[in-house]
Amino acid sequence: MGTSVQVTPLCGVYSENPLCYLLSIDGFNFLIDCGWNDLFDPNLLQPLAKVSSTIDAILLSHSDTLHLGALPYAMKHLGLSAPVYSTEPVYRLGLLTMYDHYLSRKQVSEFDLFTLDDIDSAFQNVTRLTYSQNYHLTGKGEGIVIAPHVAGHLLGGTVWKITKDGEDVIYAVDFNHRKERHLNGTVLESFVRPAVLITDAYNALNNQPSRRQRDQEFFDAILKTLRADGNVLLPVDTAGRVLELILMLEQHWAQHHLTYPIFFLTYVASSTIEYVKSFLEWMSDSIAKSFEHTRDNAFLLKHVTLLINKSELEKMPDGPKIVLASMASLEVGFSHNIFVEWATDIKNLMLFTERGQFATLARMLQANPPPKAVKVTMSKRVPLVGEELRAYEEEQNRIKKEEALKASLSKEEDLKASHESDANLGDPMVIDTNNTRVSSDVTGPNGGGHQDIFIDGFVPPSTSVSPMFPFFENSSEWDDFGEVINPDDYILKEEDMEQTIMRFGGDLDGKLDEGSANLILDSKPSKVVSNELTVQVKCSLVYMDFEGRSDGRSIKSILAHVAPLKLVLVHGTAEATEHLKQHCLKHVCPHVYAPQIGETIDVTSDLCAYKVQLSERLMSNVLFKKLGDHEIAWIDAEVGKTDSGMLSLLPLSTPPPHKSVLVGDLKLADFKQFLASKGVQVEFAGGALRCGEYVTLRKIGDASQKGGGTGTQQVVLEGPLSEEYYKIREYLYSQFYLL
Amino acid sequence: MTSTGPAPSLKRRESSVTREGDQLIITPLGAGNEVGRSCVYMSYKGKTVLFDCGIHPAYSGMAALPYFDEIDPSTIDVLLVTHFHLDHAASLPYFLEKTTFKGRVFMTHATKAIYKLLLSDYVKVSKVSVEDMLYDEQDILRSMDKIEVIDFHQTLEVNGIRFWCYTAGHVLGAAMFMVDIAAVRVLYTGDYSREEDRHLRAAESPQFSPDICIIESTYGVQLHQPRLVREKRFTDVIHSTISQGGRVLIPAFALGRAQELLLILDEYWSNHPELHNIPIYYASPLAKRCMAVYQTYINAMNERIRNQFANSNPFDFKHISPLKSIENFEDVGPSVVMASPSGLQSGLSRQLFDMWCSDKKNACVIPGYVVEGTLAKTIINEPKEVTLMNGLTAPLNMQVHYISFSAHADFAQTSTFLKELMPPNIILVHGEATEMGRLKQKLITQFADRNIKIMSPKNCQSVEMYFNSEKMAKAIGRLAEKTPEAGETVSGLLVKKGFTYQIMASEDLHVFSQLSTANITLRISVPYSGAFGVIKHRLKQIYESVESLPNEESEGPALLVHDQVTVKQESESHVSLQWSSDPMGDMVSDSVVAVILNITRDIPKVTAVAETAKTEDAKTAEKVIHALLVSLFGDVKTGEEGNILVTVDGNVACLDVKTGEVDCENESLKERVRTAFRRIQSAVMPIPFSVSS
Repeated sequence: MGTSVQVTPLCGVYSENPLCYLLSIDGFNFLIDCGWNDLFDPNLLQPLAKVSSTIDAILLSHSDTLHLGALPYAMKHLGLSAPVYSTEPVYRLGLLTMYDHYLSRKQVSEFDLFTLDDIDSAFQNVTRLTYSQNYHLTGKGEGIVIAPHVAGHLLGGTVWKITKDGEDVIYAVDFNHRKERHLNGTVLESFVRPAVLITDAYNALNNQPSRRQRDQEFFDAILKTLRADGNVLLPVDTAGRVLELILMLEQHWAQHHLTYPIFFLTYVASSTIEYVKSFLEWMSDSIAKSFEHTRDNAFLLKHVTLLINKSELEKMPDGPKIVLASMASLEVGFSHNIFVEWATDIKNLMLFTERGQFATLARMLQANPPPKAVKVTMSKRVPLVGEELRAYEEEQNRIKKEEALKASLSKEEDLKASHESDANLGDPMVIDTNNTRVSSDVTGPNGGGHQDIFIDGFVPPSTSVSPMFPFFENSSEWDDFGEVINPDDYILKEEDMEQTIMRFGGDLDGKLDEGSANLILDSKPSKVVSNELTVQVKCSLVYMDFEGRSDGRSIKSILAHVAPLKLVLVHGTAEATEHLKQHCLKHVCPHVYAPQIGETIDVTSDLCAYKVQLSERLMSNVLFKKLGDHEIAWIDAEVGKTDSGMLSLLPLSTPPPHKSVLVGDLKLADFKQFLASKGVQVEFAGGALRCGEYVTLRKIGDASQKGGGTGTQQVVLEGPLSEEYYKIREYLYSQFYLL
Repeated sequence: MTSTGPAPSLKRRESSVTREGDQLIITPLGAGNEVGRSCVYMSYKGKTVLFDCGIHPAYSGMAALPYFDEIDPSTIDVLLVTHFHLDHAASLPYFLEKTTFKGRVFMTHATKAIYKLLLSDYVKVSKVSVEDMLYDEQDILRSMDKIEVIDFHQTLEVNGIRFWCYTAGHVLGAAMFMVDIAAVRVLYTGDYSREEDRHLRAAESPQFSPDICIIESTYGVQLHQPRLVREKRFTDVIHSTISQGGRVLIPAFALGRAQELLLILDEYWSNHPELHNIPIYYASPLAKRCMAVYQTYINAMNERIRNQFANSNPFDFKHISPLKSIENFEDVGPSVVMASPSGLQSGLSRQLFDMWCSDKKNACVIPGYVVEGTLAKTIINEPKEVTLMNGLTAPLNMQVHYISFSAHADFAQTSTFLKELMPPNIILVHGEATEMGRLKQKLITQFADRNIKIMSPKNCQSVEMYFNSEKMAKAIGRLAEKTPEAGETVSGLLVKKGFTYQIMASEDLHVFSQLSTANITLRISVPYSGAFGVIKHRLKQIYESVESLPNEESEGPALLVHDQVTVKQESESHVSLQWSSDPMGDMVSDSVVAVILNITRDIPKVTAVAETAKTEDAKTAEKVIHALLVSLFGDVKTGEEGNILVTVDGNVACLDVKTGEVDCENESLKERVRTAFRRIQSAVMPIPFSVSS
């Protein structure tokens, strides 16, 4: 009987929420992807928390937050502890992405959902695989083989193929069939008739313009701004699609000898590019080829300057420039700050290359028409000075004493200690003890009395589970297009706001950004100062699709080609999911599922199968006919048993007659050519093929529909009794194999 | 009896065919009982794989090639190259461009990138006449387009041959290939090392044990010193030489081990600031170019170097400067020069050797395996004199040290590797005959209690093995709804793809494969203006089953003949036939058409013609029978009542033509005549009259 397969979405169905699914194969639980959004909302992970202890293995498919962002948190707080599998780039770039997120968050808030150590330890146990590597699981998963395959979209992006007993379960989300500058297209199309295919509906309703046209518009928009003395901001991800953009700009700049500076600004920009340079074997054939021939590494960037610090950007000479900065959501990171600075100048351009995550600043700005003004929170981390510093040091001393006291206590006491002390144990590695201490004190249950070290700008209540920006607390005022705005409010406030910016730019900026990354990593006591302000969006906003995902039409044709026996749809708006479901029901296969969160669907194949041995005697009498990759023959056999109790097939002395089978795929257009080459007059007339004077050939039914329906082509050949009729019948037969 | 006669012989032949298919042949075309020109041919079940494609460094021109004329290059499906060394890859451009080879070639990314550099250099450096040139730069460039890349552990399938590769240590990008043809696995190690060094990983242990292991035996039964000891000897020799004001020459192959030595030297120099004024030159025209490759494929190296990579690229050497040629070299004091080629045959290393060999302050450190027949091999034995390139002899005063860093497995590594794998068949290649012989003996004693065959074929000597693979098929779909018991029958389509078999119902074919089935409906209209009843009547005379189909409104009467062909009256002047195509249906329809056409003709005339035909036939038959009997027996007369009298040696046999009875006194003649007549009759009139009438 078939292998039992169940799918339970934990997050990311009927919405654009992060991806996280539970796939159970004969009782072995795979967690496929472990995504989070840029807002790091722990509520999204509740379904995962319920099952995290039962997970046996985790498969990661892409290196962005949506696919692996929750891994450190889930490992730390939700009891997830299974081995993780991913490709080398997903591992490495995923790690960098998480670092970048952490550093960006830490810079503007007392971020305590996970620490750098948590990220490191979460990624410590990743088993790295190469494409098409068949990895045989052992232990509980004995018999299961997992293999990553090229997905496109992001570097190292993976389509997972999970095989048990010859049945394939394929997980393919965010794939791209098109070959890009740095990536090959997906190999999804090479899988035919898997038992189960899990795929996303994210792009089901999107159709893309041609690449050339899109690229042209992209450069036009950028150059227009630059020539008009404006700056261009591209909010990008840390180490994913940005690579394609960098390569595009790099090549275009080289081709056209442009001199406008390009900056790539994330906390990990230089190490990202350094690692990417060593991932050539994961990139497109053309990049590999050019390296083999000339040893020119495509990511040896000549026009793009890598920055890890905003102050370095400010040191650069004035004048039009392009900045690629993370995060794409504009929620945090350098892009957030740069946006606030540049949005007010009509000359500037915000060029979005991907759809912003739901309910983020980027998404609001992508609304049509874009909002005229948005409320943002500017937060800065400043070193403690004067009174505060003294209070803090006193506090530290007190803690140290306490710790010394604690250390002298018995072991049982230690075990009883809250996670506060756990955080302590993990601390000495990278990050300073002080910062963590402050944050855990604030939110920890025993925290209590040190709030006096904060100034009034940002004081998360000690009861708060997730100290987010105060910004999010306003979220109730949003509608689909972002915040509900009363323009009148802003006219009055404009002056204030400009003053605020002035103040930021004048008084604090230079000092604060100095070594912002260092600030986080060194042990100087610091605090976060937040400031809410409203930004008039005067710059131009443009969105172009550089997400590198297959568009709706391609998805449909790929699905029709792959033709899974069962199809599970996840990740995509309710509308897109429903649309794709209806389409697939009609054109792909009759078993299409789109489960809700927490709903377990059973996609065990109702396929019956048993294994038999083909006896030598039988095989010596079988004559195969070759059809492409396949060889095919009709057999009549008697079932016998071998010594080991295996079923074996023996030849039958008197084979019974069987209905003959015609194998072959008749394409009327090809057949027309064939007949013409044989000197028969042929033409299409009313959907049928007229051969010679009287004979007509027709195909009945929709043969293009695979999976569902009959699947057998119906061909009708009509005509009067004549020599021609028999001749054409001969030609027709020659197109098939008779078995 | 006669019909069953040929069957056994046919079977014998067929079984011998399958036996041939189960035969696995392995033939070294090079590197059999020698080191150099690695090339091993393997064939099983009609699939052919070639491992490596090297040249022999001690020979030049065609003589350096493996024995390609032993095989037909056009039959090779896959060519797998383990690493970029000349003795493993350098005949590839020749094989790809100058032979009929049309299969596919695979190597790892790093190997491919270095392959081009190395071979271009080889073409430039090797000073042979144009006729002796095996290939030129253009051939190498063209070969680059044909070479495909494979990543470690990536499983590929070509034409039913599945293969993947493991890390082999040895040099950057070196791979061990595992080939799986119809579940028989062959591991080809190429050159491998189980010892992790400064930048490379140790060879992996494959997760599956192969059926055959083709393994290198370069170092035979020798044992390496521990790596740290060797490194210390190496640095000590260099340090003492330069502190005495001498020069150190390290003849090394441009790529591979050279990088390891540079890492050692760079580190040593960093730790010894007093040496900073002594220059280290890496004198290879490839030096700079191949560094980019080393700086890129960091992921093929070990954890240690990858961790260093997180800080800075360890291949950015701080104390080593490149040296383009001897003209750029200012020989003004102590220095360390690493130069190629490793064998001191010619080139920069030889030029420096000639300059330095007579000064006893200088030293030459030979850091790796040296091939038989090269100068480097000669000086290891420290002769008194050497011949310089200009033909003069000079005293050999410089110190010669042999400290092997060549990452080949030693005996300890080989035997633990084989113990882990326990392959039932071991084939030794890539080793000098004596070393190989010793290794073979030692392995035989070591595995004496196990059933392990160890072979060391010479070049062109084939090893034949038989594998009885059981063919397993998976019955799926409708056909497999119920698992059959013994004795039941299974009928369906057997679909073979690669080496996997599936059995399925024809209706399921499109579900489980990309093939589709078709039904052809044939409809033909025949002019007929007679009564429809006549057709029915005539068909009933021929076919058992002729049924009238229920009449539908406004449609003419219809018949179903033999459950296959529908005959329908379309109009006054036409009937139509409709059937679904298959051989039986086609046949029935043809006969129905014939019947309908016959009806329209004049019936009596038809019978008359048939009768005359019959009588004529009978007369002819009689004549033929008579003639044949004459040829057999000689004296044959026609007697009364159509009887035939056969006279042989005075005995007379009377043959009754109608019954076939023979009347004769001599029993043997009687039997002979009767048998002869029966055979003649069955030949002349295969269908007895009784049936036809």
